[in-house]
Amino acid sequence: MEAVANNQLVSIEKPEIVAPPNWEPVIIGILCNWCSYAGSDLTGTSRIQYPPNIRIIRVPCSSRVDPWFLIKSLQTTADGVLVSGCHPGDCHYISGNYYARRRFLVTKKLLNFVGFHEDRIQFSWVSAAEGPKFAKVVAKVTEDIKKLGPLHLYKKENFEK
Amino acid sequence: MDYTKQIQEIASKLFAEGKIDVFVGYRLTGFDENQVPVLIRDQKDVSQLVFNDRSVFNLVNYLKYEHTRNKRVGLVVKGCDSRSLNLLLTESQVKRDKLYVVGIACEGVVDEQGNKMQNCMECVFPDAIVADEMLGTPHEVRKYKVNADIDELASKGLVDRRVYFEEVFENCIRCNACRHSCPLCYCAKCCIDQETATLYNGANTTSGAFHALMTWSLHLAGRCVDCRNCEKACPSHLPLHLLHKWNERVIYENFQEHLAGVHEGDRGAFYKYSMQDPDDFIM
Repeated sequence: MEAVANNQLVSIEKPEIVAPPNWEPVIIGILCNWCSYAGSDLTGTSRIQYPPNIRIIRVPCSSRVDPWFLIKSLQTTADGVLVSGCHPGDCHYISGNYYARRRFLVTKKLLNFVGFHEDRIQFSWVSAAEGPKFAKVVAKVTEDIKKLGPLHLYKKENFEK
Repeated sequence: MDYTKQIQEIASKLFAEGKIDVFVGYRLTGFDENQVPVLIRDQKDVSQLVFNDRSVFNLVNYLKYEHTRNKRVGLVVKGCDSRSLNLLLTESQVKRDKLYVVGIACEGVVDEQGNKMQNCMECVFPDAIVADEMLGTPHEVRKYKVNADIDELASKGLVDRRVYFEEVFENCIRCNACRHSCPLCYCAKCCIDQETATLYNGANTTSGAFHALMTWSLHLAGRCVDCRNCEKACPSHLPLHLLHKWNERVIYENFQEHLAGVHEGDRGAFYKYSMQDPDDFIM
């Protein structure tokens, strides 16, 4: 972690990119309707604080998440992505999260291979009853990505004339 | 490895018996010893056919175009080609009873400079899996080897890999030859061609190339058979195999040693799941 040179935060993939002062990461959270979205709702109704860096998108199931969503998020505004679904065995559609699990692993490894830090893309299983867990997950993801600095890889605006 | 005579005889016999409408094989380019694919529609043209260690292209690709659709086709396949044919059969893209497959027990092919291709040195299934007729002596069972380029690149640091791949994506000219040459990319309307889809980054820029190649390699993850048609077609000579071989390795190591197209009826790795799939990367 070569983060703190003159108290400045640099992007881990591109050390020449320095984060602006008071930089806050943007995290896209893609949550499954039946477990994680309800879980995040519970977090809110239970008045548990969690970092406001996450922007939540609701999808029907974690297997609805095409790797496109992750690539597109990282290419536009996001510094990191969190995908969350039901625990194995709890899927509303019986086996959606098992299919999703395979896709997530391959996507994560491939993006890591081409130069994204592996903590940019994170996954979690959060059930509808796990409000406190959701707050912890978001706190951890935000903390991880804050350490990595801003993401400046294959961003659309950097290359288009 | 020279089966020119046998293949000419087989094709000639098939035409004489009226079993096929078109035969897909290789012919010489005419100005050097390299070969190009050829579609033979008449018995008198059969003498054009050749087969030796310069028969590099995957002819299964020709099953997705109109000139072979709804026709009875004779076809030459090597080991890797037969795996892609197996996948097309499994995915209901071609009908087995309309095909006459001449399988080769392949000893490896060479590139234009005459060096043995890298994927042939790492080949796991050199013998054709789908075949009506086999030529050559079958090989013993081989073991899966991790690609040497992958090993080298994966051992480098994150920043080095980022720099390397940024150059790769920068050199892509978005001609989509990789997709056209891939036997498994058969969609009539490809998702990366959509003009109105807001999800897709269609720009001819590094970011657009990144999006297109990542999408492409993820659609082929667990299906790619490492025939390297895409690399032979790429005008920028991009190392496209790196993406596919990396996915293949991740899938082989994590999902019960899955290799694409080696069993009949076995679809890609993303069409099935197992309770033993790794879960440790998920919070």
